[in-house]
Amino acid sequence: MKKLRVRNKRIDDDLLMKKRREELDRWPTGKEVDFDEAVAYQKSLPDSKIWWKVMAKLREEGRMSVFPRAGTPILEDMIELCQSLRESGVVLIPVTTDSYTRAGQYEKVEDILKECYRTGKPLLNGYPIINYGVKKTRKLVESIDAAFSPRGAGGEIGIASGLTTFNAGIGFLGFGSYSKNMTIQQLVEHSQNGMRIVGWYADRGVILCTDLHGWLPSAPFPLSVNIVCQIIEAVTAAEQGQKALYPLVPCMGNMVQDLAWIRLTPRLIREYLDKFGYQDAMITGTCPAQTPLFPVAMDLGGAFAYLTYVSMVGALSKSNAVDLRSIDEGAGIPSKDTNTISYRAAKWIFDVVREQKIEIDVKDIDTEERVTEIEVRAILDRIIELGDGDIVDGTIKAVESGVLDSPWSPNVNVKDEVLGVRDARGACRYLEFGNLPIPEEIKEFHREKVAEREKLEGRKTDYHTAVKDLWSLSKGKIVGIPPYDK
Amino acid sequence: MKKAATIITGTVGMDAHVIGTKIVSRTLKDAGFNVVALGMQVSPEEFISVAQETNADAILMTSLYGMAELDLKGFNEKRMEAGLGDMLLYIGGNLVIGRYDPKEVEPRFKKLGFDRVYPPETDIVTVIESDLKKDLKAKGKM
Repeated sequence: MKKLRVRNKRIDDDLLMKKRREELDRWPTGKEVDFDEAVAYQKSLPDSKIWWKVMAKLREEGRMSVFPRAGTPILEDMIELCQSLRESGVVLIPVTTDSYTRAGQYEKVEDILKECYRTGKPLLNGYPIINYGVKKTRKLVESIDAAFSPRGAGGEIGIASGLTTFNAGIGFLGFGSYSKNMTIQQLVEHSQNGMRIVGWYADRGVILCTDLHGWLPSAPFPLSVNIVCQIIEAVTAAEQGQKALYPLVPCMGNMVQDLAWIRLTPRLIREYLDKFGYQDAMITGTCPAQTPLFPVAMDLGGAFAYLTYVSMVGALSKSNAVDLRSIDEGAGIPSKDTNTISYRAAKWIFDVVREQKIEIDVKDIDTEERVTEIEVRAILDRIIELGDGDIVDGTIKAVESGVLDSPWSPNVNVKDEVLGVRDARGACRYLEFGNLPIPEEIKEFHREKVAEREKLEGRKTDYHTAVKDLWSLSKGKIVGIPPYDK
Repeated sequence: MKKAATIITGTVGMDAHVIGTKIVSRTLKDAGFNVVALGMQVSPEEFISVAQETNADAILMTSLYGMAELDLKGFNEKRMEAGLGDMLLYIGGNLVIGRYDPKEVEPRFKKLGFDRVYPPETDIVTVIESDLKKDLKAKGKM
């Protein structure tokens, strides 16, 4: 067997330091960052503010926290919002940045921020972390006894402010779900040349945590491709020096599959981290997450049920965190009150269901776990073969040839030759395999399951079935012909 | 028989929610239209310039992130200046932020120049069969 390796063109330390400074110089608040002082500040933080330690403690104590989304532009309101989250039992707090900050339009943000203070209204859809800078963001961090994670942007201003997660590795999220023109080579170059920062901090004893997303299944679609990409993200992040990682596992709504995938994902990530020689990278937990289409804004009952479903899956799988939106997700920006209602409901489920320590031993879960495991291994084997032992080279070739592929991507450089539908029990199956190297016996398994649905509905499944299934969760009908189709 | 009508599709502004426009494009193609699929994040200017280049008969825009009204400020004036006054304009999706009555949203987008405005979860096959074909015929383009 070929030696397994991860290509990584590590930039030299002088160049790294120059690039870090250049990035910070894009806005005056960057001057507030002194790298050595940032390390000292991170080291001074109590354990309750260090993301990986909070996750580890939750796991040890058999507890869990919601990992919500929250960001509002006025600092005092942001502090109040985060305090209300903390009061709802949340110890993993996001700092969701606004869209303009994500696009690097700091001057525009500055003007709108002034307007926010003048009118008292939240005119930005998040917390503009760059414009606030280190001193003010430290005020936020120091106001609440919880760990903070930047969402969307933050850079080293986030680290210096005491936020304790940072992205690393080859991130498929931006490439597969948000970019229109990025090529896979560009993604690799971007994430390998610019992301040595976690390693720099790790070398100095500061461990920042990274959440793994994989390539999001934007619709009902088996999770194998997502898990493969989470593994690629994990080993490439570890190669950059990352020491703490955890997977977000998208819940697709079939409870048997969701529980199987939550069990499988961290197990395989661990196995491949070890195989590639990164035994020192720890997995801090598992975080079931919401991905598919949310109920429309007007359907509050549906939104509530969807939230509590994912909370229930988190509780039954004994996860230590659950990534949840609020009942306002379909409406756009959540208010403090709807956040509180949403996360108190989740906490109720955690406290009542998780505490019962239910042992689930269901044959179907084992079957789903085994099927997905075979798929993941088959795709990864092919990637490593394409890269002649190198997982990064293999990934590039795999995306270009559709060996890695996912449906409904906005990116024009993605093959998009695969498709998923639900089966007669609402489980996600492949309808079109594209160029995914799924073994024939497993393909046959999917075909049989799809045939059961065809028999139930009395008609063939096709592209239009896949389209109708996009609404299966948001309309609350996962099995059989959706009600709107009568 | 006349040649197939040309329809432009895409999400407007900075909206990355691409699934809707992918479904619209595919269904239009299956129905025999000549489709120019621009994908996600299409600026109003790009819609206009592509419409001029392709001599398009209609634009079917989609939007999910609730900011379409901001994205489309001045769009109608620009398309009139570009001599595209006769082109059909449809838009559908989650068009404003918050909870709302789609009936209140419709007139706002009609004012922006749209011939038809659709709420979330509209069936695109019905749109094509009941509305688009009728509107194109009325304009003598089908």
